[in-house]
Amino acid sequence: MNAAPTNTAPMNTAPMTVLNTADTALPAAARECERIGRTAGLAAGLAAVLVGRDVAAIAPGRYAAVPAAPDTESPGVRRHSLADREGIVFAECQGERPPASTDLAEIGALLAAVRLGVMRHLLDLAVAHLSERDSGGEPLIRKQLVTGAVADVIAGVELLREQALAQRDPVALGDLHTRIDDLGWQTAKLFGASGYIADHPARALYVSALCANTWSGREGAGE
Amino acid sequence: MIELDGRLRAVRDVSREAAEQLRALAQAIDTDPDAMQAHLDTEAYAMVRISNTPAKYRESMPGRQLRLLDEGNCLETVVGTLELARGDAGALLACPSPALAGVIVDLLGDERQRELFYTRLHGGRTWTFFAMTEPGRGSDATAMETRLERDGAGGWLLHGEKRYIGNGARGGIGVVFARTGRSALSIRAALVEPALVEPPHAWHGQRLDMVGLRGAALSALRFDGVPVRGDMLLGEHLPVTRRGIWGAIETFNNMRIQVAALAVGTALAIAEYVAEHRKSAPGLQLALARAEAARELVYEAAARVMRDPDNSYLSCAAKLGATRMAVQTARWASGAMSPAGLLEHPLLEKWTRDVCAFEFMEGTGDIQRLHVAKGYQAGDADG
Repeated sequence: MNAAPTNTAPMNTAPMTVLNTADTALPAAARECERIGRTAGLAAGLAAVLVGRDVAAIAPGRYAAVPAAPDTESPGVRRHSLADREGIVFAECQGERPPASTDLAEIGALLAAVRLGVMRHLLDLAVAHLSERDSGGEPLIRKQLVTGAVADVIAGVELLREQALAQRDPVALGDLHTRIDDLGWQTAKLFGASGYIADHPARALYVSALCANTWSGREGAGE
Repeated sequence: MIELDGRLRAVRDVSREAAEQLRALAQAIDTDPDAMQAHLDTEAYAMVRISNTPAKYRESMPGRQLRLLDEGNCLETVVGTLELARGDAGALLACPSPALAGVIVDLLGDERQRELFYTRLHGGRTWTFFAMTEPGRGSDATAMETRLERDGAGGWLLHGEKRYIGNGARGGIGVVFARTGRSALSIRAALVEPALVEPPHAWHGQRLDMVGLRGAALSALRFDGVPVRGDMLLGEHLPVTRRGIWGAIETFNNMRIQVAALAVGTALAIAEYVAEHRKSAPGLQLALARAEAARELVYEAAARVMRDPDNSYLSCAAKLGATRMAVQTARWASGAMSPAGLLEHPLLEKWTRDVCAFEFMEGTGDIQRLHVAKGYQAGDADG
């Protein structure tokens, strides 16, 4: 496994941001998270969400996605080959897990914003990819089914951003992440099979879903 | 609804036993798809390989009593594939066996070519490949650029590139589709043995590192003037209209349903895994009901292809529906377990990646949608 991230998407390049998450500032924090996710990548966005928080005391499950640090070879860290390449590892959180908290709700909402930002970045790449690739003598981006799929993704982002800005209810947040998972898949499909190669930037969408799985209690949510 | 008769039930039951062995290999193959040596003597692999080999070309295996799948038609193959994928689709696709190349060799090959192909697979150490898809072209055969040029001595030289070819880089023998000219009828299938290519550097194969379904060992292939003897082109003994790709339309409808069967088998595996580890998971019965409905559609599509081999309507609808259902089932399962459930259940996490592969195999969802709409407009939904 690679200890160092090797992806081509921008990541870990933003200075560590301390977000102001006071109630009145949460929308601004969410917008900042989306910006970081879009411009600096998933790991940088996750770092911004978690900075200053006690991960082990808040995480709802036995593992919690965290940005990789130089000492992530420690026994309490679980690795995943795709997440490794995004600069993300999974910290083991021992003991009985805490009930849902305000902190967890904030993390859920801000992580959703990061994920939407990552998706925006991938959608930009997908549109460029579809504009370069021809089928039947015209760029794929001009095919109605493809144009419609792009529109569905960005319209979905617009809607889910509002959900991320407004919701702190655990069920609504669980639903939000499930919908982002789905939208991520719709985005990944725009790259065709090339987006299913582990070294492709679309890898971030698979890892994004894995991160959300550790920070979102989604019991009962689903299709 | 298709009632499984005694023959189909036998195929299903034998496949279920083999599926347990595939399940046991699933995570190791996902972790390192190149480390296959330790798995090659698995009985399930011998069963799959021998079952898919015509009786006259089967090797003798003294001392081994294999239960074979008695698959003689599309529906029987689909029933078997679905149950094997319920064990693990990645482990199934990692099996050295005739697979799709065998279907084409059976259809277009002459007696000598069939014997060469199947004999080469004896011992269970030889993978096969079916090289159709090209970089940037998807599986659109009409846009195929790989070409066979005459070498002036009765043979051909193969030039071009293929991509996302299962077991391509490790294949010992397989089929490469290429053009001998500009017309649609000029797309031919050539039998190639990479290890015998001279000069060796004319053949380049590299496994691609994929997100999921890693047992399939999808590969990129490049041919820089690979010599192909004249008698290695399949279909020379057939009429011009039946010797190339258009003689194999039935095969493509069949392949599409096989992919749908892989998707349904994986979805059932996911739902049943959740049932085993979290009986009270919300939505469990619904997930199972949806997977079972997709299974029925896949069976129906197989029966339709047997009645009307050239009609793609229901095979496309089945592939479209089964693939979507499998992705939805994986997403449901991600939320149905406790938080971080995917980290605690690596097999489930693997399947959530694997199900995405089916979208890209044998035509994407958009391609299927276009075929389904065309078939509907032609009245195929009432056929």
